Amino acid sequence: MKKSVLYGLLLPGLLFLGIFMVVPIVLTIGSTFYRGGSLTLSGYAHFFEDSYFNQILLTTVGISLITTLLCVALGFPTAYYISRKKARSKGILLAIAIFPLLTSPIVRSFSWMIILGRKGLINDVIVGLGLAEKPLDILYTPTAIVIGLTHLFLPIMIISLVGVLENIDTDLVQAAQSLGASRLSAFARIVFPLALPGLVIGAVIVFVGSLTAYTTPALLGGKQRVISTFLYQNAMTLNDWFLASVIAVIMIAITFIVVGLMNRATHQFNPKG
Amino acid sequence: MKKKWLGTTMATALATLMLVGCGSNNANNAGESPAASAPSSQAASTAPADAPSGEPAKLVISTWGFSPEFFDQEVFGPFEKAHNVKIVLETGNNADRLNKIRQGTSEIDVIYLSDYYAQQAIDEGLLEKIDPAQIPNIQNIFSIAQAPLGADYGPAYTVGQLGIAYNPDMVEKEVTSWSDLWDPSFKNNLTLPNITGTAGPMVVDVASRVAGNAAFNEDAAFSKLAETKGNVVKFYSKTSEFVNMFAQQEIAGGPIMESYFKDLQAAVPGAKFVKPKEGGYAIMNTLNVVKGSKNKELAEAFIDWQLSKEVQEKSAKAKIDSPVNKDVQLTEEEARGVTYGADVIEKLNKLDMALVNKNMANWTDRWNKEIAN
Repeated sequence: MKKSVLYGLLLPGLLFLGIFMVVPIVLTIGSTFYRGGSLTLSGYAHFFEDSYFNQILLTTVGISLITTLLCVALGFPTAYYISRKKARSKGILLAIAIFPLLTSPIVRSFSWMIILGRKGLINDVIVGLGLAEKPLDILYTPTAIVIGLTHLFLPIMIISLVGVLENIDTDLVQAAQSLGASRLSAFARIVFPLALPGLVIGAVIVFVGSLTAYTTPALLGGKQRVISTFLYQNAMTLNDWFLASVIAVIMIAITFIVVGLMNRATHQFNPKG
Repeated sequence: MKKKWLGTTMATALATLMLVGCGSNNANNAGESPAASAPSSQAASTAPADAPSGEPAKLVISTWGFSPEFFDQEVFGPFEKAHNVKIVLETGNNADRLNKIRQGTSEIDVIYLSDYYAQQAIDEGLLEKIDPAQIPNIQNIFSIAQAPLGADYGPAYTVGQLGIAYNPDMVEKEVTSWSDLWDPSFKNNLTLPNITGTAGPMVVDVASRVAGNAAFNEDAAFSKLAETKGNVVKFYSKTSEFVNMFAQQEIAGGPIMESYFKDLQAAVPGAKFVKPKEGGYAIMNTLNVVKGSKNKELAEAFIDWQLSKEVQEKSAKAKIDSPVNKDVQLTEEEARGVTYGADVIEKLNKLDMALVNKNMANWTDRWNKEIAN
């Protein structure tokens, strides 16, 4: 095909992204430095001076990090198991792993409300077994948000890990073992480094998804705010689009920092990855 | 050749975008009821004799969108027939719809808003001044509803009441007063409305009163509210959240509008609704004409229709909106769950919405920092 035709095919996608993504993001970022007719950093100064905003930021990043670690811890063994199966059972297992993605976050949050509540399944078991006298407060705490988000994002972690794990040649592991490596060291030195690209992609999606999630924290969280619910409050009910834009830019910045750090860490483990 | 090709593609893409942009205006259409879709000649024959004929005018109404069948059949439908007009609806919550008229991209004529949001719209100059002479039914409604936001702006077509609902199985004390929300029997069992909701500022006022101030005292209110920390499980932003938590027994109760009590009772039959002895708070939903409306007279006629005895009585009997028209008579059975009667309504506490609006950003900040963390 001619080059001009190829560029033409790219055009609709580029236009779409340009108009609906690049322009709004640039406008949003630009608006945060401009207030009352002059260039200023006051929006950011105000944000970082306020201990309440810092606390929200820390809570949100903390929740997102714990969720990401949990997804790695739960997702890696699952993905490894699935990737070693034959094609047919692999398909079935993957379908089961992805199944939760087919229901909306709202429905899933409501299910967790029923499970985690004071009269819920978990507390019924705990009180029934005599492990605690009174039902534990799980719902409407950060713990509930972490549980909800882990459930939400685990399938994505599994998909991205299965993708890389199934492409790792089992001969490599056998070769390492025949040369005297233990199973553990073969895993640590062969499988894990080769799986890192998938792990990083999964971790970035889970982290960013948790950082920006709105429905789950709004429904399962308690009195504390996370950054997305705080942004919503400023934009929709206080009509303070300036502060809302500052928060949005800070969220974008955190995302880039985290992606950068993860890429750097991967490079150290697997320079060729 | 190459340039021409690019140009065509871009033009097509832009045209598509514009079309997509326009699409959002044709939101919900109210004219789906059989009465409305009848040909205009037939409509004219059944409508009152003075109904104008010819091409129907268009009236765009922005509303919440609850109980759509009732509004289509009893409110919008008959008005369309009588005035040879086609009503187009735009629906959503207060904040979203207020934002929409802020953007000014939509041709909304009449907007339903709670008093708090209507006050914001007034302060920003988004509403048209009304001519009370064009809305004669204003004379027939309770004085509290006639001009809640000043004589220049629209009336409240319904006045609800904020009181306390609770589950007697979970609360030992018999609740009679707003101060009972601070009682240890609500420990870790209470919900309060979020500051940004319509009822949030009312709770700030309640706290100032409970702290013993006759006139509103902001600092006393917030330090009193901070004492609820051990009681509050979660702040609710939507009434449905209250209902869910109540049904699941995550909470034992809290302040809620009387008109939603029937939902609580459906979940917990023993539930009680209390009108606190210091008085409940008036929650008013207003009707206004949006600035720039080309159908101001028609819009005012619609507001008058919504205040008429006929509509008010029907919505009260359907338990959709509490009536403000003085001529509406309800039996005891019909009045259940409805805020009804001159003695009840005129006694309700009323917040100064202009004051609330002025302080809202500051109150939200204090609420976030001192109470909700």
